[in-house]
Amino acid sequence: MYKFRRVYSIEIISYYTGYIVLAIAGLMIIPLITSLAFKEWNPMLDFMISCAIALIVGLTLILLGIKTKEGQSNFQWKHGFSIAALSWIVLTMISAIPYTLSGNSKSFLDSCFDVMSGFTTTGLVLLQDLDHVSNGLNMWRHMLTFIGGQGMVVLALTLLVKKTSGAYKMYVGEGKDIELLPNVKGTTRQIWKISMVYLAVGTTALWIIGMLIGLQPVSAFFHALYIFESSWSTGGFAPNTQNIMYYHSVSYEMAAMVIFIIGSFNFGLHYAIWQGKRKEIIKNIEIQSFFITSFVACTLALIGLAKLKVYPDAIAGLRRVIFNVLSAHTTTGFGSIYARQFALEWGDFGVLIMIAVMLIGGSACSTAGGFKGLRVGIVFKGLLMEVKKLLSSERSMKVYKYHHIKDYVLEDSLIKSSAIIILCYTVTFFVGTLLGTYYGFSFLDSAFESASVTGNVGLSIGVTTPSMPAVMKIYYIIAMYLGRLEFLSVFALIGYIGGGIKKVCVNVLKH
Amino acid sequence: MRKCIETLILIFVFMFSLSINIKAEDTVELNSLIENAKQLDGQEVTVQGEAIGERMDRGDYSWVNINDGTNAMGVWLSKADAEKISYYGNYKDKGDTVKITGTFNRACVEHGGEADLHNSSIIIVQEGYTVNEQISIVKIMITIILVAFASLSLLIYFKFSHKVFTTNK
Repeated sequence: MYKFRRVYSIEIISYYTGYIVLAIAGLMIIPLITSLAFKEWNPMLDFMISCAIALIVGLTLILLGIKTKEGQSNFQWKHGFSIAALSWIVLTMISAIPYTLSGNSKSFLDSCFDVMSGFTTTGLVLLQDLDHVSNGLNMWRHMLTFIGGQGMVVLALTLLVKKTSGAYKMYVGEGKDIELLPNVKGTTRQIWKISMVYLAVGTTALWIIGMLIGLQPVSAFFHALYIFESSWSTGGFAPNTQNIMYYHSVSYEMAAMVIFIIGSFNFGLHYAIWQGKRKEIIKNIEIQSFFITSFVACTLALIGLAKLKVYPDAIAGLRRVIFNVLSAHTTTGFGSIYARQFALEWGDFGVLIMIAVMLIGGSACSTAGGFKGLRVGIVFKGLLMEVKKLLSSERSMKVYKYHHIKDYVLEDSLIKSSAIIILCYTVTFFVGTLLGTYYGFSFLDSAFESASVTGNVGLSIGVTTPSMPAVMKIYYIIAMYLGRLEFLSVFALIGYIGGGIKKVCVNVLKH
Repeated sequence: MRKCIETLILIFVFMFSLSINIKAEDTVELNSLIENAKQLDGQEVTVQGEAIGERMDRGDYSWVNINDGTNAMGVWLSKADAEKISYYGNYKDKGDTVKITGTFNRACVEHGGEADLHNSSIIIVQEGYTVNEQISIVKIMITIILVAFASLSLLIYFKFSHKVFTTNK
């Protein structure tokens, strides 16, 4: 006979968060081995220290909530959302340790900024002297962005915990809600399967191109792996200061562009295509939305930049404009021009287009950020529906639908929830812009950078530097975090902490 | 005598200010090239920086990336010139410091609109070297202590979780 004990919410949260921290401790072995292979002794010690700290923290959290293991835990939505939100904070701090120990980061805040930028697949960098960063730390940076893109909470839980009764709630809490298979374990494994197949194919392709453009075989392999991880997760990190410009190659840029466009698509769409449903590419509302907005944005940017005579010929214009606009739209953040060139050469019109596409972002349940094409499509269709309703007879009752993997009825509640999330993104963007202007940056520069952090893009116009005010760094960390988790999980965690504080205060007052 | 001193001071000040101007005009920072790209487009400039990453050969020419601490930029140069560089900066090596004189292109027609430098002359100012990695004893001690603590935590975890499991049965 099993004896069940009541398990408190804090124990459930602590127990699962502990497992997620343990997973990160396990993952640190990869950069540790990389450092060992390249005989980089200091980075190797940095990862040993970080791994040990992660292990101690993880095990302590599990032991604090050990009753969850055998107790009758009532796993609720609030737990799932709180675990997802809290884990991201704890993991950011632990993952920042190797950055700080490397000496390439000016402060722990800068390290946390870079880690959050990686986890949220943003791609903004405060790390110093990037061209002399060790292979171990580069491996870690790119791993973080790759794992962050797929969702690290559920990966950790599906790998480490046998009974994932609350896994779906944590999965949704991490900003993903698609169900590829009837259970969450199957769904997350399918997501990882899709990503790993693309990893093998994409890295091989980039490796071959890398060798053809003059990179040495070993270095070509690591560059290929890093650029794939960054492209697929729509992250935007690169191992050198010049980002994608380091390679001076149109073929390398094209390969990266194909990968980040595919990476910005919904995992549900990937799965449907794997299942042989090829028509989904044409019918899907997100793909339609993405291609329409991409075409409009690229055309407008090309016209605007042609007017300003920014590029000497059509080939140069097409190569720079299409790559950067699509990099912004898919929220990747690879830049094939210098950050300051946006501000100095692209003009207000070009910058405004970039801001718009950065905010729209990629697909829902993908590695991309921003409002997401699905929400934009739903709100746009909702607007059309309202106009049609106004124009049609009161007696006519028509059901409006949209297609996303399957047909769905366009309900008012869905339009409302999509509009609320878009509103949350807009408010975050607006506050970021306001903060930038308060610290003396121009309105357009502030708006560009704010859109980049809110949409988890990673392109910079030159605002993000180690010398920028600490308040801005903290706000950008929060904006990246909110944008990636799509607000609800963070609100749940704040609500949970607020509720706890209220309870304590009431108890104190009663006594 | 006073006049003589004043004249000497004036000459000294003049020479000092002139030397600053010459130094400033000698090399241009890479960030200045980006910030003043429209004015400097197509002009011959001299930059100085560390060769980083690796050389990428493209036929008879090569790409070499240089970093001067303010920014990094690609230099398009002949393979023969590129071969003069022996060290490229990375975690283990400090790259050669090179002085490049060449044409700055804000949006190079030959290279798809990239901001780059087309080299006309290269001077190795300082040869690079392999950095001797120093390992701190304190770091080693901290690592040993933390690994010991982590092992102890694992032991406690296994004992405790086993205990919880058996008492619940």
